[in-house]
Amino acid sequence: MKIVIADGSHQADYIIGMYNNKENNLIVINSDNNVCRYLSAKNGISVLHGKPTKESDLFDAGIENADLFIALSENDVDNYVACKTAKKLFNVRKCIATVINPKNVELFKQLGIDSVISSTYLLAEQIKNTANIENLISNLSLEDDKINIMEFMVKSSHDVCGKSLKEIKVSDIASVSSVIRQQQVIIPNGDTVLEEGDKVLLVTTMEHHDKITKVFQRKKA
Amino acid sequence: MSDINCIVIGAGRLGKNMAIMLCKKNNVMLIDNDRSAFNDLDEYSGFMEVGDALDLEVLENCGIRDCRTVVAITEDDNKNIMLADICRQIYNIKNVYIRLKDSRKEKLVADENVRCVCQFDLTLDHFRSHYGEELA
Repeated sequence: MKIVIADGSHQADYIIGMYNNKENNLIVINSDNNVCRYLSAKNGISVLHGKPTKESDLFDAGIENADLFIALSENDVDNYVACKTAKKLFNVRKCIATVINPKNVELFKQLGIDSVISSTYLLAEQIKNTANIENLISNLSLEDDKINIMEFMVKSSHDVCGKSLKEIKVSDIASVSSVIRQQQVIIPNGDTVLEEGDKVLLVTTMEHHDKITKVFQRKKA
Repeated sequence: MSDINCIVIGAGRLGKNMAIMLCKKNNVMLIDNDRSAFNDLDEYSGFMEVGDALDLEVLENCGIRDCRTVVAITEDDNKNIMLADICRQIYNIKNVYIRLKDSRKEKLVADENVRCVCQFDLTLDHFRSHYGEELA
């Protein structure tokens, strides 16, 4: 993959570390000369000193037709314009912008940025997702909240305890992908019976999130 | 404030003079995030708002939904470009004008029916047409 990392210091360093291997062609551009030197020395790669919002600098960096463009500046507006320039003038396939102001997540998406990340926004979403359900469930949203990965702990008081997946009847709205029982991973089928202490990992859609929660939280009659 | 038909963003020297010019025939709202920017406005008869124009709530409180014209002349080219995109793509404002210091950025909004005024080009043109022969 051809990956462009624009601005950012520690985040840039971390992402470079993650992608710096033979399979990827990394292009790193940074507007701070000191950061350029630091990133270059630490990771043994060349880093271009330039502004990611400037067409000529992106041209010099050779970002044309890149697969991924990651904008990490602390200035939200600069990240927006950098992504827009990459997409519009250099035919970059996918752009990710980080933002400081969580309000900009929705705004940037409306304006056509593929993916927008705000640590504050993620934190708030995570709190929202976990706060209204009992804390034994964890939750992960993917693909703009369309896919939900949920984890339930089975207690003896739960209605699902002692039932087989066939009896629980969730196969049309969720897929139970694994059951973790005493540190062993079981790939379940319809006949798998849930026991107390099992951790159930399932994939569902956002619309069925509440229904699934209800099924797995229901107490025994 | 629903009768605002013209919003000027950025109350620098240019923004203020633009607002004064426009307020003779329009209901103008002038927005800047710095309260101290709103001085020297004796001749201005429009509204003023302190706030970040990139915040949609601020724009909506200023009546952007019924607005026909937006002029974005902040000091930052990138901000002006983003404001133009917000105006065109989210609020479908008919007339959007922005100031650009770097005329090469005009490409970014070229197909969105945004009118750009580039001071670099204007200065160069002026030099060329008025003093071109002298300088040659």
